[in-house]
Amino acid sequence: MMSFSLWDIVRNLLVGGALTLLLSLAAFVLGGATGLAVLLARIGRRRAPRALARMYIELFQGTPLLLQLFTLFFGLSLFGLDVPAWLAAGLGLTLFTSAFLAEIWRGCVEAVPRGQWEASACLALTYREQMRHVILPQAMRLAVAPTVGFAVQVVKSTAVTSIIGFTELTKTGSMIANATYQPFLVYSLVALGYFVLCYPLSHYAKSLERRLHAAR
Amino acid sequence: MPLVSTRRLHKFFGRNHVLRGIKLDVEESEVIAIVGRSGSGKSTLLRTLNGLENIDDGTIEVDGTVLQVDHDDPGALRALRQKVGMVFQQFNLFPHLSTGQNVTLAPRVVKRTPREEAEDIARRMLERVGLGEKFDAFPDQLSGGQQQRVAIARALAMSPKVLLCDEITSALDPELVNEVLSVVRQLADEGMTLIMVTHEMRFAREVSDRLVFMHEGRIHESGSPQEMFSNPTTPEFASFIGSLN
Amino acid sequence: MPSCRQTFDPRAALVRPACAAGRRARFVVMAYQFDFTFVPDYAGMLAQGVVYTLGLTVVGGTLGILIGIGGALSRTWDTRPFGELFRYYVELFRNTPFLVQLFLIFFGLPSLGIKLAGWQAAILAMVLNLGAYSTEIIRAGLQATPRGQIEAADSLALTRWQIFLHVMLRPALRKVWPALSSQVVITMLGSSVCSQIAAEELTFVANFIQSRNFRAFETYFLTTALYFALALLVRQAMHLVGRYLIVRRPSP
Repeated sequence: MMSFSLWDIVRNLLVGGALTLLLSLAAFVLGGATGLAVLLARIGRRRAPRALARMYIELFQGTPLLLQLFTLFFGLSLFGLDVPAWLAAGLGLTLFTSAFLAEIWRGCVEAVPRGQWEASACLALTYREQMRHVILPQAMRLAVAPTVGFAVQVVKSTAVTSIIGFTELTKTGSMIANATYQPFLVYSLVALGYFVLCYPLSHYAKSLERRLHAAR
Repeated sequence: MPLVSTRRLHKFFGRNHVLRGIKLDVEESEVIAIVGRSGSGKSTLLRTLNGLENIDDGTIEVDGTVLQVDHDDPGALRALRQKVGMVFQQFNLFPHLSTGQNVTLAPRVVKRTPREEAEDIARRMLERVGLGEKFDAFPDQLSGGQQQRVAIARALAMSPKVLLCDEITSALDPELVNEVLSVVRQLADEGMTLIMVTHEMRFAREVSDRLVFMHEGRIHESGSPQEMFSNPTTPEFASFIGSLN
Repeated sequence: MPSCRQTFDPRAALVRPACAAGRRARFVVMAYQFDFTFVPDYAGMLAQGVVYTLGLTVVGGTLGILIGIGGALSRTWDTRPFGELFRYYVELFRNTPFLVQLFLIFFGLPSLGIKLAGWQAAILAMVLNLGAYSTEIIRAGLQATPRGQIEAADSLALTRWQIFLHVMLRPALRKVWPALSSQVVITMLGSSVCSQIAAEELTFVANFIQSRNFRAFETYFLTTALYFALALLVRQAMHLVGRYLIVRRPSP
């Protein structure tokens, strides 16, 4: 039987942690871009895209991420695609993230007072011009804090991809725990890893929110 | 030909019939004050004039641009809004833009006025409302009265044919009301066509050419303010001015 | 009816993920026939899974919100040492994944001599997780109590405890009930990872079924739909509970 020093454990977890970070970043960036498209459809004037975007959001918010990953994984394999775990994880999290971000941002757009719409309408701005020059800049300011806050959820959600076999932090932890028979130590270190990633983000989100409230 | 004219204007909020056939003609350079109790439809009437509220029947014509039911012609709505400026009770300045940017936004975006020219116009308009030095200030650095004057400058920068004022002093502290009213008075003196909904009866009486009293969705009585205040012809208007003091 | 327990070893599933079975289920979609005929055979099992998941949610939701009320109170009044303790608790649980909390409880605690069954670990994790979120949510509601309300109660000589119970709590809960409801739904959906510690909830049942019928896509698709319905149900239930417990106003 191999023996593991603490450093061996930590070193392996760090590799897993790096993959967690990478997956989080990818999901956040790609999910953000997709989410923006979903948002524009959701708040747009055309009925069909609006309804579709709404369904999309409700579907991803109303079902477990784990089942989304399973369905995606096995659904793609129906098309004869042999999807590697990292791709299924990245794709699944991207879709998941985009739905939540679109909904968060929609809340921010709706939080812009009605008077702003009216005042800009009175100045003969078109819907696009209103969005671009008046509504979105204000919504973006409101969106920063909850978006950073949601980044914490994204990082935590990546843990679920361990179940479809992506060897990020949690999966690495499971494997080490099984090999070392030191589950308490290993999972504590795993938890610490997530905490180190998430706590600064949470803290930053909270201070941003406080600053926004103070500015009002 | 009148500058603004409405015919058999009807408007419902659900089952509530708020405008019941409004016929209103406003000549160029005329100053109209619309008064009435809350719920009489006066603000709604004002808001239909630039398409903020849809109408359910009738027509609105401003300087040759006709607005139909349902606003099914976005071009007409846009054309009309360039001729009709509006100032709100709550100012509605854009908080993320400086005073100067608030005023230049529409000329630059809608009329494609070059930046320098738009800024020239903005400076002139801000000076006109007595705020020439506040070009780079942000709305939250200004008092309510100053914000409302910026809102007026913002509307004027589009060189509208007519300016709508919706209770523009109601949200102001009493000591700030006069600075805004004096700007409005100056506009009236310069020949601007004004349609205002107001609670400031003394101001309405002093500045307006014609007083319009709204009651239950109709124009119940209208005429010269001096005439109406001294000889109200309907009991409703008499009781309205009686309740003011 | 086959029982889950005999054939599905949770620890094996952990190391060798459920997808391994899926590799067998690779077909070209043109030739693939969707087959839901397995549903009647496993309907009873799926129903058990649904009930299990709902049970986790009801217990987790109730105890979690109770912890949240206590936590929010301690944090708002900064009752020593509870205020400080709750702060650490909230930060720890909100900044780590539910799955890791679950593993730490199920796999980790035995080395400290605390051995829990799958369902016990699942409930404990749900309660603690929801408790942390509820603490933050309810605290925000308590903080939004207008000063005048407290001053009015003070001047009526109410004690601090009476003020909390009669003046602050109900408006605070009413204000944050939608947020709390969303959190309960999120936690319910998150409970699907409890399948990984052999808690026989809905996803566990789905894993079992797909290992038997090799219809992974159909099984998971159906299960996803069941979760969607559950989410609607839980949301509606929270709405009714909220109306009964918090608003409690005679209907006109």
